[in-house]
Amino acid sequence: MEYLLPTLREKREVDSLIRDTIDKVLVLRFGLSSDSVCLQLDDVLYKSAKDVSRFATVALVDVDSPEIQVYLKYFDITFVPSTIFFFNAHHMKMDSGSADHTKWIGTFQKKQDFVDVVEAIYRGAMKGKLIVSCPLPPERIPKFELLYKNV
Amino acid sequence: MNHEIMKKKKKKNDNGEEQQFEFCEVCKLNHNQGRRHIYFPAHKSSLSALLTRLQSKLSDVKPFLKTPMLLPAEHAQQNRLWCVFCNRDVIELDTPFACGKAIEHLASGEHYKRVKGFLWKHGGGTHRADSFRVVEGDFKKWEKKCKAMKTEAAKAEAVGASNNIHNELNADYLNSFHENNTNSLDFNITNGVVVPLQSYTNEKVQVSCSVPYSASEAGSTSYDMRGRMQMVDAQCLKNSTGFMDNHLSSSSHVDYLSNGSVQPGVKVFHGDSRSLNSMNLQKISYSSKEAIGGNVHTGATPPWFNSAEENEIMQKPELSNFVNSKAGKSSKLNPKRVGAAWAERRKLELELERRGEVITKDYDANWLPNFGGVWQSGTRRKSRKEFQVENKKSLEFDSQSESFVPLQPYISKRMRRDKSE
Repeated sequence: MEYLLPTLREKREVDSLIRDTIDKVLVLRFGLSSDSVCLQLDDVLYKSAKDVSRFATVALVDVDSPEIQVYLKYFDITFVPSTIFFFNAHHMKMDSGSADHTKWIGTFQKKQDFVDVVEAIYRGAMKGKLIVSCPLPPERIPKFELLYKNV
Repeated sequence: MNHEIMKKKKKKNDNGEEQQFEFCEVCKLNHNQGRRHIYFPAHKSSLSALLTRLQSKLSDVKPFLKTPMLLPAEHAQQNRLWCVFCNRDVIELDTPFACGKAIEHLASGEHYKRVKGFLWKHGGGTHRADSFRVVEGDFKKWEKKCKAMKTEAAKAEAVGASNNIHNELNADYLNSFHENNTNSLDFNITNGVVVPLQSYTNEKVQVSCSVPYSASEAGSTSYDMRGRMQMVDAQCLKNSTGFMDNHLSSSSHVDYLSNGSVQPGVKVFHGDSRSLNSMNLQKISYSSKEAIGGNVHTGATPPWFNSAEENEIMQKPELSNFVNSKAGKSSKLNPKRVGAAWAERRKLELELERRGEVITKDYDANWLPNFGGVWQSGTRRKSRKEFQVENKKSLEFDSQSESFVPLQPYISKRMRRDKSE
């Protein structure tokens, strides 16, 4: 999927993208291009990227790259794919019913779900909120068990 | 019988909401209120709207019941009536008379039954059933009139075989009137003669539409065609004066009006026309101005373009102002939005960079975005600092791996803090 959406492998690329996306939601997908769930998420992202292009930018970050490891630690990424949302270089949290509000883990069932999530983030950000609640019903949110430091 | 059924129903269902859902065609709504529904004001208003609409359509048909007209086949297709009670279209097929099929349908017994049933079901008042149908007596009268018309038409054709110009024009004129009754504006073909659209065809349609009503109002029982023609002519002239005032601006028509004194007799109409075709068309004399200006054949620009250019120039500056003001409204983003300060700063930096003043503000390779940690319970700055501290410590740890290190498991501040909580 690398050829469809901008894929970042270096920390400075990620940094510059975070810094340069102004007044738009930045969707960063951390994942592997060999994982099936990641591929499905990438498909959804690619297809919806144009629809949200006026208020969001989508990019993929390869988790295997050595420079990105620091981000993995910083963002506490253990499951793949993980999607993190930024707005004006500030990280946006979303409460989707799970313990981890800082990122979206897993894929989206429909393109519309993804668009709804990005819209919710954008609306919250424009109002000045750093955390928003998820507009999707719980059955459509992927479930996972969050491990605290591998316990 | 009906009352008994209703009583039974009432006994079974004391609670209204337990009745089955039904669809009310008038309100286009599913409800479980049973027979109560028809008395609700919403239903009553939608029912009255429906019936008024239907009545207006029926009132269009009623005049043809009193005075049947001949209708050529091409125009019949445009006259169709949707019967609400029978839920079907009544198309005018195989009938030479205007609204013939509609009248037949409205007079039929089956339709009457349905009307009564509909009114009972929807509470319209079964006594009103007669206003939605054609009574047998009226229908029979209509049929008689139709027959009479047919025989008269046959006679007229026989008479028209002779080379009497007067009669020929009469017959043709009558036919054209019938065509105009159908409210169609594109009557290019009349009796096989191709007639080019003249500038005032609109009024002719309007005029002749009002004719049958006025004729029927006059209550002329005699079906002598010439007599009717005279009446019709008089009416026509009267109406045409009014219409021409409204529709036409050409000066030449003023002459026509002055000539058109209301005189009985057909001659007035025919006197002005010198054209070969049977339609009584009047020649418009072009004023010399128009001839110089050019026309379609010479390839001149249409007059609306000439005036439009002037307007455009006037309007364009207004349009651009309008667009600018609108853009100004939306470009001012909410100052309270997330990261607003950062965004403003960044925008300025980018502007400067774009202008060419390269600002060598290389960000620290260790720059990290603002991130609220997963298990964090403080400000975000704290999480970044803690991470950096952790990183440093881990680096130090690595570097010191070779030297002797007391065997003590390192517990980070965060872990210590969380454990205590």
